[in-house]
Amino acid sequence: MTATSPPIEKFAYDNTTVKWFAYATITWGIIGMTVGLWAALDLVFPQLNLGLPFTTFGRTRPLHTNAVIFAFVGNGIFMGVYYSLQRLCKARMYSDKLSRLHFWGWQFIIVAAVITIPMGFTSGKEYAELEWPIDILIALVWVVFGINMFGTIIKRRERHLYVAIWFYIATFVTVTVLHIVNSVELPVTFMKSYSWYAGVQDALVQWWYGHNAVAFFLTTPYLGLMYYFIPKVANRPVYSYRLSIIHFWALIFLYIWAGPHHLLYTSLPDWAQSLGVVFSIMLLAPSWGGMINGLLTLRGAWDKVREDVVLKFLVVAVTAYGMATFEGPLLSLKSVNGIAHFTDWIIAHVHVGALGWNGFLTFGILYWLIPRMFRTQLYSRKLANAHFWIGTLGILFYAIPMYWAGFTQSLMWKEFNPDGTLANKFLDTVTHLAPMYALRSVGGVLYLAGVIMMTYNIIKTVRAGSFLANEEAEAPALPKIYTIHGKEHWHRWIERRPVQMLIAALIVVSIGGVIEFIPTFLVKSNIPTIASVKPYTPLELEGRDIYVREGCYTCHSQMIRPFRSETERYGEYSKAGEFVYDHPFQWGSKRTGPDLQRIGGKYGDVWHYNHMFDPTSMSPGSIMPSYPWLFSDKIDYEVTPKKIRAMQILGVPYPAGYDKICVEDARKQGELIVANLKKAKVQEVEPLSADDEIVAVIAYLQRMGTDIKAKAPVNDTATKK
Amino acid sequence: MKTARLSPEIKNKECFHCGDKCEEIAVTFDQHSFCCEGCKLVYELLKENNLCNYYDITKFPGQSAENEQRSTVYDALDEKGVREKLVRFEDGNLSRINFHVPVMHCSSCIWLLENLSKLKTGIISSIVNFPRREVTIDFEKGKIKLSEIAALLSAAGYPPSVSLGDMELKGKKKRFNSAVLKIGVAGFCFGNIMMMSFPQYLSAGDLKEVPQLRSFFAWISLVLSLPVLFYCASGFFVSAWKAIRFRTLTIDAPIALAIAVTFLRSVYEIIAGSGTSYLDSMSGIVFFMLIGRFFQDRTYKNLAFERDYKSYFPIAVAVRKNGNEESVGVTNIKPGDNIIIRSGELIPADAILLSEKADVDYSFVTGEANPVRKFRGEKIFAGARQTDGAIELEVQKVTSQSYLTQLWNNDVFSRHKELENKTYLDKINRWFTAGVLCISFGAAIAWLFIDKDFSLNVLTAVLIVACPCTLLLASVFTNGNVLRWLGRNHLYLKNAAVIDRLASADTIVFDKTGTITNAGEAQVKFEGTLSKNEMIAVAALAAQSAHPLSRRICVALAESDQKVNVRSVREIAGKGLEGIIEGKTYLLGSAAFAGVSAQTERAGAEVWVAVNGKVRGKFIIHNRYRNGFITVASLLRKNYHIELLSGDNDAEKEMLQPVFGNEMYFGQSPEQKLVHIRQLQSAGKKVVMIGDGLNDAGALMQADAGIAVSDNRNAFFPACDAILDGADFKSLPALLSFTRIARKVVIASFTISVLYNLFGIYFAVRGELSPLIAAILMPASSFSVIALTTISVKFAALRFKKT
Amino acid sequence: MSAIFILIGVSLVVASGFLVAFIRAVKSGQFEDEYTPSVRMLFDDELTPRKENTLLQKENKKEKTSTNV
Repeated sequence: MTATSPPIEKFAYDNTTVKWFAYATITWGIIGMTVGLWAALDLVFPQLNLGLPFTTFGRTRPLHTNAVIFAFVGNGIFMGVYYSLQRLCKARMYSDKLSRLHFWGWQFIIVAAVITIPMGFTSGKEYAELEWPIDILIALVWVVFGINMFGTIIKRRERHLYVAIWFYIATFVTVTVLHIVNSVELPVTFMKSYSWYAGVQDALVQWWYGHNAVAFFLTTPYLGLMYYFIPKVANRPVYSYRLSIIHFWALIFLYIWAGPHHLLYTSLPDWAQSLGVVFSIMLLAPSWGGMINGLLTLRGAWDKVREDVVLKFLVVAVTAYGMATFEGPLLSLKSVNGIAHFTDWIIAHVHVGALGWNGFLTFGILYWLIPRMFRTQLYSRKLANAHFWIGTLGILFYAIPMYWAGFTQSLMWKEFNPDGTLANKFLDTVTHLAPMYALRSVGGVLYLAGVIMMTYNIIKTVRAGSFLANEEAEAPALPKIYTIHGKEHWHRWIERRPVQMLIAALIVVSIGGVIEFIPTFLVKSNIPTIASVKPYTPLELEGRDIYVREGCYTCHSQMIRPFRSETERYGEYSKAGEFVYDHPFQWGSKRTGPDLQRIGGKYGDVWHYNHMFDPTSMSPGSIMPSYPWLFSDKIDYEVTPKKIRAMQILGVPYPAGYDKICVEDARKQGELIVANLKKAKVQEVEPLSADDEIVAVIAYLQRMGTDIKAKAPVNDTATKK
Repeated sequence: MKTARLSPEIKNKECFHCGDKCEEIAVTFDQHSFCCEGCKLVYELLKENNLCNYYDITKFPGQSAENEQRSTVYDALDEKGVREKLVRFEDGNLSRINFHVPVMHCSSCIWLLENLSKLKTGIISSIVNFPRREVTIDFEKGKIKLSEIAALLSAAGYPPSVSLGDMELKGKKKRFNSAVLKIGVAGFCFGNIMMMSFPQYLSAGDLKEVPQLRSFFAWISLVLSLPVLFYCASGFFVSAWKAIRFRTLTIDAPIALAIAVTFLRSVYEIIAGSGTSYLDSMSGIVFFMLIGRFFQDRTYKNLAFERDYKSYFPIAVAVRKNGNEESVGVTNIKPGDNIIIRSGELIPADAILLSEKADVDYSFVTGEANPVRKFRGEKIFAGARQTDGAIELEVQKVTSQSYLTQLWNNDVFSRHKELENKTYLDKINRWFTAGVLCISFGAAIAWLFIDKDFSLNVLTAVLIVACPCTLLLASVFTNGNVLRWLGRNHLYLKNAAVIDRLASADTIVFDKTGTITNAGEAQVKFEGTLSKNEMIAVAALAAQSAHPLSRRICVALAESDQKVNVRSVREIAGKGLEGIIEGKTYLLGSAAFAGVSAQTERAGAEVWVAVNGKVRGKFIIHNRYRNGFITVASLLRKNYHIELLSGDNDAEKEMLQPVFGNEMYFGQSPEQKLVHIRQLQSAGKKVVMIGDGLNDAGALMQADAGIAVSDNRNAFFPACDAILDGADFKSLPALLSFTRIARKVVIASFTISVLYNLFGIYFAVRGELSPLIAAILMPASSFSVIALTTISVKFAALRFKKT
Repeated sequence: MSAIFILIGVSLVVASGFLVAFIRAVKSGQFEDEYTPSVRMLFDDELTPRKENTLLQKENKKEKTSTNV
């Protein structure tokens, strides 16, 4: 009871955890960006994969995305939150143990990711590639973070929850739900699982997650940081606090719906698409509200910006946020999306956000935090300035070529000859873009160089300073009793509210969890009504799993949109009913290579055989890497029956007991393909056998899209009950 | 004090505390110079407690701490009755109090006021609400007294303003919460219902194959719409119901009707399974209208329009009880009590002066700042302020019954102008509603012949689409913008209704002193020849009269303390003053009285001096009128009938003749003023009263719109509908005519919204109103109206800037 | 489209969760003062007053005071 306890309490802020997260941010930043650079170079010099699976684009790219999003930005978030939350609440973090647990847990997850992804353990869903054991781990560590955060909020000494805290809370709750809903999957082995949803539904869930991951992992927490650090650094209150509050609630109520805009012109129902569009456009308002609020905070202090490098970083970050959030709604317009989707435009778009908004904000915060915690001046402002400029240059060198590439790509895809035939072979578009890709990697190099300069600068600063592990502070305790308009008993909940928030969060999560089981009851609805669509044969299934493992979806789409340019090039446009057995869906989001939805039967087995070993032999100038290991590695038929059973649980209509005989079936089909290849006198990379992975891959490729090929467009009712 | 030394050499340096220019003799204290002891003391206080960040956060954060009050002023706070009334909340040992601290103005203020706990033990924490200029303090009542806290605050340069008013104010706090809540909920439901309605708008066919999904959406949106109907929109239903009970028709009535119909129709559709509901449109308009109302009603948190004398009277006075004085709550003083009033304090009740003389001013009552001399036995009215030295008086009436304060027992103070005279909007609306009803029933009847089962559909459809919500939006956003513009030009309106009342006014009544004159400033100039002694004599003579002119002369010729005795004084009313001093007969008064041959009167009053029948010269006394007053008046006369209603005598009648003609009334008591306004109104005039003093309070209340002119918003002004910053007096005509713009804009945007309505009605009448059309019309009309009003008001504002 | 049910269900639950939070916050007067907190967060509550703390420009004194009128 405060009335008796000493009015002013002394306590200390925990800087150690902040420091650790800061170091982690830097370390993983460098690693993630280096991998990104490698991936970029993979596209310029396919040989760079050194004939190894781990260094192939299909695996480096997921590693890159996961590393920068969850390792670099993730740690950045925690760094900022752990610093600001304590000070906004005038309280030390709830529990040092949890802080430590949170830190090491998160790092462990990242390490696990860094190991498993190159090894090809992937769920095959973008930004959610990690396999189920790690998914569970993520959930646990995330909850630890939540408890620590809400605990701090409970024992805070400042009654008002500053707007930044709201953003943090939103981040926690939503990410929890998104993560759980999206990673409902059926484990097959320790490191292999199938997404619970299939085809269109999987796509819908995935992009609902995908978009909101951007919204609530890359945006809301960073907005919180923006609202804390910009005023702090500029030492002036935010332009309009009222606006910031409106900003938050508007964003929260709108963001969750914007997901479907990632699936325009796909087999998703129109209204769902339009829904995504409208809400995406409405998002423009709050987003820009936030940006303007951030920038106007510095009104009348632009002189400061000129001299203070930290402010420079922050300003560019906020501007980038503004650009990205303007481009987003633009891209969600069907007409624009028709052009931009599957091209490098999207890559440019996300990198403006990632490099500018997330990257620069993080750097700014680091430059401001480290000297403070080490009670010294930054080692070299000059160097920091250099970092700023080289970084900005890097962003330009990255974005401009990518935009350019995007436009060209799209134009070339859609270009027709007078006689109505397509003007460009797909390969032409690829070779045409090579220089852009090269330039893009230059941008990457510059940006990375900047980060390394920063690292040096910070190391020097750390060396020079003396670290203040526990920052003494004092503040009057929050009176237990409180009156709001003299209402009675209201005060109880003032301290109860965070708890309620936590409970609410958990309820939300558990409800989310409960809803997970609904699919089991709904799987019936997944049974197709396109009669000709049949489940994959065991061999094709194995082939498909390899396709997923190698991350083919990072370059090849499986979604032919209803444009003439696409139906001309790839064939009949995709029907929702065709994907009902796809766990997970493999529509992809980028066409560095051509769409594969109707690849089946387009080329002979031999072509594929050679092409997989040396793509350039079949299509000169191709930037697809070669996959030599497919020719030596054998299919693990141990698991095949398990897989069949799993599929059966997911509602794929294999005859009962099919798992007993599936392996023989697979072998039979394999033999046929082998015979086929032998007949064509293919010169064998390795002695051919029906167990070779390549055989399975060929089987899958040849099957793709054949179900309804050469049929009149079937009316699309597959998923309707 | 020993550390401080007077240092003549530091000239025109800025005071480290308040940034004022330091006079010749500044106080220096560790390398900082201060303009006064007060500032230095504050600095010392903070220094001791290591709170000098105060000076880092903002430059010169302080307020000049000169004339800071004696700490005993606050003793009364500890008096049980008073204390109980002021303390907001108590629990065990912990208590909470809110102090209004008008002087806070910068980050440093906030910082210091939130660190009070470091200044004194016993204070647990303090939280500032800057927009309200309020600090909420939690303290341990065992460890520290309320008076000590108050004293501490004023010692730190933040004197809290505690007044009789605060004791009533307790508990009833501004609640803008519910408004915000309603908007939030409405927005949430609107957003989600809209999302649920999408399937309907686009490719309903796509849904037909998924019937469950369809009804799923329909039902969810129905659930979501319930809070909108029963909670968010409740305000409209309530006021509509009120209006109907008062046999009047406010705009809320048709809106409520439309909302209800829309809801019922949608429910029917959903249950019938057709699933085409208009719930999205419904929640949409509710959402927008709530925002509009909120936008309009956001007025000035830190300006109190409702204040009466209580807000200014002290909460306690020193009473002499058998020899020793103790402080007693003003509400508890009884006739017969002997009260002691110190310099600068207000006299809280009508009382008889016991001390042999007192210099009191009625600035507070009339705006007249020049002190009046009172002698033993004279009656002094409540509200007078003692200007120097302590005096003792015997209370005659309790405060609430005193001459001035009883004014508040008049019923005008308990009436609500809002409920009376219909606003412009309502007038328009009446026609509108009538029209809508005709059309809808007309159409319905027509359809009865074409297709029976369809006519109900049409009837409801018309009612839905013809909801006057855009009309409402038009007016609220116009008003909101107008309010803000006026505010930016320092005319602060109590609420939007005032705009309408100002716009429809045709008569303007001015108070004189303090309103059209700058309080207290008068220049007195002597033309002629008088020896020094004669001057002193004249001053002494003038001192004998309470006549404002003689008062001014007194003030002008600073009285010397050398005693001169005046014999056989005669004051001839309206003429002058006669007296014999040191054998000489002095005449002081009008030209005729002094024996001057009549001559053309010049601006300003003249007081002639004759010694022993020989005219020696004249004092010319100019009342300082607010700059530009003459032009203001002449401008206003073009459009308004203007009058003068003054509390004091007609000394300046001739002077004001050219401005007001004969419409001048002097020596008006507060009630008379009130009554006068009432008469004007009963003569069918729409009256704007412009005053400043407590004695105008009644008139201000009675007038259709009362504008208080105030030179310092933290200082006194009476209850009113609007506050005009004295400095901007000259822009009054512009501001008034601007209020008329509002109407034009409303009409314009109204016509637009009518067009939209007609467009919608066209579909409705033909029974083709699809939810999509409704959903497009609703925001389209709303937004275009909002845009129109905002832009046009801004545009008009620009035009005004130029003129 | 079973997934739609899930997503909408979940999203609604989340959204309502936030709605509750919103209502709570408003009721508790969290948003009554829309200015002071933005200044308060600038103050460091270290024990030792820091001097290098840069001064705020004088002009935004005015801005601040004007915000409430």
